[in-house]
Amino acid sequence: MKSRSRRLVALFATMAMTASLLAGCGGGDTPAATTDNAATTDDAAATDDAATTDDAAATDDAAATDDTAAADNTGAAADTNSTPRNETLYFAGQQWGTINDWNPFSTNSNNPMCVQQKDSSRTLIYETMFMFNMLDGQLYPLLATEWSWNDDAMTGMTVKLNPDAHWSDGTPLTANDVAYTWDCNVKYESSLGLDFSNYIAAITAVDDATVNIECKLDDAGNPANPLKVQQLLQQMYVMQKAYLETVEGRNNSDKEAMKLDKMDDLVASGPYLPFFDDDQKIVFIRDENYWGQAASMWGKLPAPKYIAHVIYADNNAGQIAMEAGDVDVAQQFTTDVQKLWEEKNLPITTYIDEPPYGECATMPTCFMNVEKPGLDQVEVRKAIAMATDFDQIIASAMSNQSPTFTQVPRSTMNPTAGEQAMYDHDAVKDLQFAGNDIDGANALLDEAGIVDTDGDGIREYNGTPLSFKAECPDGWTDWMASLEIVASSAKKIGIDIQTFFPDTNTFYDDITTGNFEICMNSPSGSSITNPWGRCMQFMSSQYADLAVNWSGNWSKYRNDEADEIMAKIPLETDEAKLKEYYTRLNEIYLTDVPSFALMYRPELFYIVNESVWTGYPMKDDGSNIPPTDCTDGYGIAALYNLTLVE
Amino acid sequence: MKNTLRQVFHSPKFVIGFVIFAALLLTTIIYPIIVTADPLEMVGNGNFFKPGTYVSVKDSVEGTRYTLNVDVKAGSLDSKISAEDKESMKEWLTKFGGVAEADINLEDTEGLIALWEANYSEDADQPGLTASRKKYFVRLNKNIDGVLLDSDVIIAQKDPETGELVESATIGSKEFVNTKDVANKKTFILGTDNFGRDVLTELVDATKTSLRVGLIAGIIATLIGLFLGLISGYMGGVVDDLIMFITNMFTVIPSFVLLILISYSVGQNARGVNLVGIIIGLTSWTWTTRSVRSQVISLRNRDHVNLSKLSGHSMMRIVLTDILPYLASYVVMAFILQISSGILSEAQLSMLGLGPSTSNAATLGLMMNWATAYAAPLNGSWWAYFPVVVTIALIAFSLNLMNTGLDQVFNPQLRD
Repeated sequence: MKSRSRRLVALFATMAMTASLLAGCGGGDTPAATTDNAATTDDAAATDDAATTDDAAATDDAAATDDTAAADNTGAAADTNSTPRNETLYFAGQQWGTINDWNPFSTNSNNPMCVQQKDSSRTLIYETMFMFNMLDGQLYPLLATEWSWNDDAMTGMTVKLNPDAHWSDGTPLTANDVAYTWDCNVKYESSLGLDFSNYIAAITAVDDATVNIECKLDDAGNPANPLKVQQLLQQMYVMQKAYLETVEGRNNSDKEAMKLDKMDDLVASGPYLPFFDDDQKIVFIRDENYWGQAASMWGKLPAPKYIAHVIYADNNAGQIAMEAGDVDVAQQFTTDVQKLWEEKNLPITTYIDEPPYGECATMPTCFMNVEKPGLDQVEVRKAIAMATDFDQIIASAMSNQSPTFTQVPRSTMNPTAGEQAMYDHDAVKDLQFAGNDIDGANALLDEAGIVDTDGDGIREYNGTPLSFKAECPDGWTDWMASLEIVASSAKKIGIDIQTFFPDTNTFYDDITTGNFEICMNSPSGSSITNPWGRCMQFMSSQYADLAVNWSGNWSKYRNDEADEIMAKIPLETDEAKLKEYYTRLNEIYLTDVPSFALMYRPELFYIVNESVWTGYPMKDDGSNIPPTDCTDGYGIAALYNLTLVE
Repeated sequence: MKNTLRQVFHSPKFVIGFVIFAALLLTTIIYPIIVTADPLEMVGNGNFFKPGTYVSVKDSVEGTRYTLNVDVKAGSLDSKISAEDKESMKEWLTKFGGVAEADINLEDTEGLIALWEANYSEDADQPGLTASRKKYFVRLNKNIDGVLLDSDVIIAQKDPETGELVESATIGSKEFVNTKDVANKKTFILGTDNFGRDVLTELVDATKTSLRVGLIAGIIATLIGLFLGLISGYMGGVVDDLIMFITNMFTVIPSFVLLILISYSVGQNARGVNLVGIIIGLTSWTWTTRSVRSQVISLRNRDHVNLSKLSGHSMMRIVLTDILPYLASYVVMAFILQISSGILSEAQLSMLGLGPSTSNAATLGLMMNWATAYAAPLNGSWWAYFPVVVTIALIAFSLNLMNTGLDQVFNPQLRD
């Protein structure tokens, strides 16, 4: 009897798969929704019943019609959850899973739409003193109007706050708030406090509108790192002193309790406030009393009254919604993104109309652990890099959304014009490798005496075959595909690379503790501290010695000369001198190859659907607003330029 | 035996299943002899090139040319400007180009283009137009730029010393090349996948891999099942209890969960094609054991078995000569089903990323996995996943059909 039921199940599974994928051959919305569920059907094929597939398809359909239908999905909460489509800006790809807190001190926050203190901080709710613009590398005023060094040695900094700034409860925002926020970051050991307290001794209020930042000095009386002090201006959220004291009160000023506080009763200064959130959707509402409507800041309120982010199951679900016009701004990697407008004729566009379609600012990099036998040999590292087919990675894994290494030769610089101008391209020209150079890589290894002695096709070093495990998190498909291409290239030069895709947590455990052979990770993108910060992430021995290393140099590479240069850079303001330093650093980097970039990549993908809103920043539109999804750094200025489509 | 075979091949179901399966098997054997390319070679520099023949542009420019008196202008106009494009051009011209609506005749494509070229400007003030729409017009403009001109296309080469462009040839609008004359061309019957690999070649290789996995899994599962079933059924007693205890335990745990756990713990390093087959085989023997055991129990008290026992034959001999032949038809059928479910299990495992690794082998599940990861179903690249689904369906279908056919022959109750 079992054989029959098994037969039926097998037949059913095949039919279900065929049917769902057959439907995918057509065009339009319905097949998209159906095929998205193909995965579900397959996974559960052995035990699945038709109901699962139908349910899931129904949910997708509902999400794909319009926002009222999407609101119906969540049932009871329909009142707060339903916002007029023409007052709401919908996002995708920024938030996965239900949010857990609104706390900038938290170490396990899952609320990127609100809490994102980084190189270009997200200032929808909490605000920073300045906004970073990745296009020109400048700081733009937000809560503060100007900053200056107190003296030529850069031992202290004075920041003037905007007198118009006030909190969502109406009370004015003063220098005391800034000082107290810093004190709390240090006292409660937030990751920001831990990082920056290496460079900043104290932040004090001179008067209501003036903040003094005192740098940490080394033995010689030089500031530890003036670049990092500038970085704080764009990175630290300013919080209200009175509110922080309330939170301290209810947590008895306990360090751990402070980090775990949900802060859902927050007081902030930004243009939006929390409005609604559950496991389906997050909505922010505009603060009609936002201080930024003062003439000294934006002079008006941002255009969308609501900011909403539906929580999608995966990239494909987000893409379906975007194609249906239910998402306005998508931060998602999309294969063959140009097909959306060239073939499907959708009102969708990206920052640039042709490859690489976005403003690339970072470069996912292949880090090789130089403490592992085999990888400690520079020839082996360089051979792997030389053999890798970068053009193939960029064209297929990255779907052409990156400039090639012929267009932007590899270095420690990101592809933005500003950073590219900071080193001498010709000086390192002979050290460059174009990739897919199998003969060159083979010759290099043969010359170094690293050959295949036992005839199994794999070269040996000191009798051990060169066999390495290359890892990146499971589900990061473009990274996974890149590593597959690295592996298949290495195979051609007699180096065995096995790909390994653990879950994200395991991956981070592995790389922060050095328990890996080859891994892929991104150095920081555009920032006021870069390219210095990125050089540190590639070569600083300071990071190599960390027991748990979240900072960089996962290769554990050590070079005294590089360390020396990198120590000098933050204190140097002479541009010619800086160029000399960076050129030398790149010579070292390209000679020793502790790691090599596999592609360039935008910090945020930026795909906009103009069926409801228009006026998004585009390249060469003269606005100088960076394509940071209308939320990050100076990119938030885009929200003030949006208009409804006529 | 001969008679049985004849009976089997008289069953239409079995024959259809057998033909499909044999065709698939033969393809996997013959195709690699004809096409010797490495199935994992990344030929295409990009994602999902559509099916068709790709000819070298350089070769076609340099090759023999034929002049054909064909109206090429109409053909290229139609391919460059759709009816929708014309409507959009009209809209732009009336809104921003200052052209009166009466002056535009959509039937007259050439006239429309002339108007367009005279009035369109990228930098014109276009209030109310979205960025995507503006970019659309820029693209459209680029596309039809010069389409009306009948001038030749000039091929020029760069002088290596001076860097100047030297004209080496011109191409008239009525010149054609015969694709047979083009030396470098490549046909992708089923296009390429997300890595730029030839889908057809990969598919054939993947089918071979899948059949191998299925066969390994089927043999292992059937052998274990048969062995345990025979022993437990014939010996009975404590041995039976013990074996049934283990079997029941494995039956209760869903085998797919077990499969996932084992595959995960083995790690990608060691997970070759053969090992995946072995793992699948090791987790799917339980039902064969149970069925074989129950059949053996009913057989072991038959007269001929008792006679053999009285004659002092060894257990081994009794099992092999007096019991096994009666089970043979069932075992063959179970084996076929095991192959089929082994192939499906591999596909499922690879879909989860727990199959063999991508750079080492092509499997049906891996092809599906990558096609989904790169959103092939969303961007219309049917060739990357649909043929795979059809192949999986055909394998499962043919094996099941053979099984049903055999069932009808061997099971008297089902015999016509």
